[in-house]
Amino acid sequence: MLGSRGRSRPADLRALADEELMERVHDGEVRAFEVVFDRHATAAFSLAYRMSGRRAAAEDIVQEAFLSLWRSSRAYDPARGSVRSWVLSVVHNRAIDALRRQGARDRDVPDDGIAERLSSPDRTDAEAERRDDARRVRTALDELPPDQRRVIELAFFGGFTHTQIAEMLDLPPGTVKGRMRLGLTKMRTVLGEVSV
Amino acid sequence: MTGEGVLGNGRECGEDAAAYALGALEPAEAEAFRRHLAGCAACQKQVAELEQVTGSLADSTVRYEVPKELRRRVLGEVRASPKARASRPARVRRPVVAWGGAVAAAAVIIAIVLVVALSGGGSSTRTIQASTGSAELRLEGGRADLIVHRLPALPAGRIYELWVQRGSATPTPTGTLFAVTSSGTAAVGVPGGVSGVSAVMVTREPAGGTPAPTTTPVIVARTT
Repeated sequence: MLGSRGRSRPADLRALADEELMERVHDGEVRAFEVVFDRHATAAFSLAYRMSGRRAAAEDIVQEAFLSLWRSSRAYDPARGSVRSWVLSVVHNRAIDALRRQGARDRDVPDDGIAERLSSPDRTDAEAERRDDARRVRTALDELPPDQRRVIELAFFGGFTHTQIAEMLDLPPGTVKGRMRLGLTKMRTVLGEVSV
Repeated sequence: MTGEGVLGNGRECGEDAAAYALGALEPAEAEAFRRHLAGCAACQKQVAELEQVTGSLADSTVRYEVPKELRRRVLGEVRASPKARASRPARVRRPVVAWGGAVAAAAVIIAIVLVVALSGGGSSTRTIQASTGSAELRLEGGRADLIVHRLPALPAGRIYELWVQRGSATPTPTGTLFAVTSSGTAAVGVPGGVSGVSAVMVTREPAGGTPAPTTTPVIVARTT
């Protein structure tokens, strides 16, 4: 049995599911927020860094995303998905906004700080399982035909619209959309077979 | 509302699903597809399936160490901005469908706002669904949060800006600029709360914001 809210010990809180933690976050329990942050910040920062390519920009994106979670925890609806997918969705959208604001010309400026890769990322069984899932997803993406993989990477990680990608690759927009559809559908089939 | 089969402009239903799931549609296309999605079970199913893949992609990146300074900064800000605690059930003080007189007639109004006052915190809420969007203005103690759903994403160079209005004076900027997620959701705090504020508004503005509104509000939430 956990203690009263606001005085829960971190060890107790770490045993709670994300959805239970979010109820406490909504009640203003900072320690519950801290557990949520520690649970998902690595994935959030890694996505932001993968998309922005800049450590400072990635930090800004992650900071905004988690402060948004704190200030507006009620916006989280468990019926729409997990806390992790919500956090990553917020990070993804903020990263896209940042990329589109800075424009394609400015994307090649040097990094302002190199993030450090995790040397031993698997502190829990859940993290180890997630790492295996992530590896399967990357493999499924890598095994797509190069033209399909390219448009998916440009769109999802590069934040480019399909018309920008069409211009970049000198392709009709319909072809780009078609490749996106074929690629994602193929990934879904592959990942469905391994139950990611 | 576009039914199942054809999306518009000769495009086939479902043609945009993958680009939508990737966040790669142009803003106007995304909004058209979002409207179509509301009435097309086949596309809803397809998007849900493809979003499982894009969700997996988001969680598939090589892992990098979270900078300690970032953690310290985020937790510091959180500790510096405590939230009102829930001590008793929510009390709905005054549900208001907030259409401003002049702005109500404007075609750009896209959300209906339900104002819910939660004097003691709590989680009770009702949201009135509109044709293409909805929103809630949540008041807890002196704090106010605006939560929007299914608003259209804006084109590059544009952003939503949050304003407060006191009495009938010209709205003043809050300094809060925001974009919506791919599902059209955003949640922002109203800086300083809504004490003395008669309405909270959202307009579409150039990136970086403006000192005075340049467009008709897309959301008007009256607090009195």
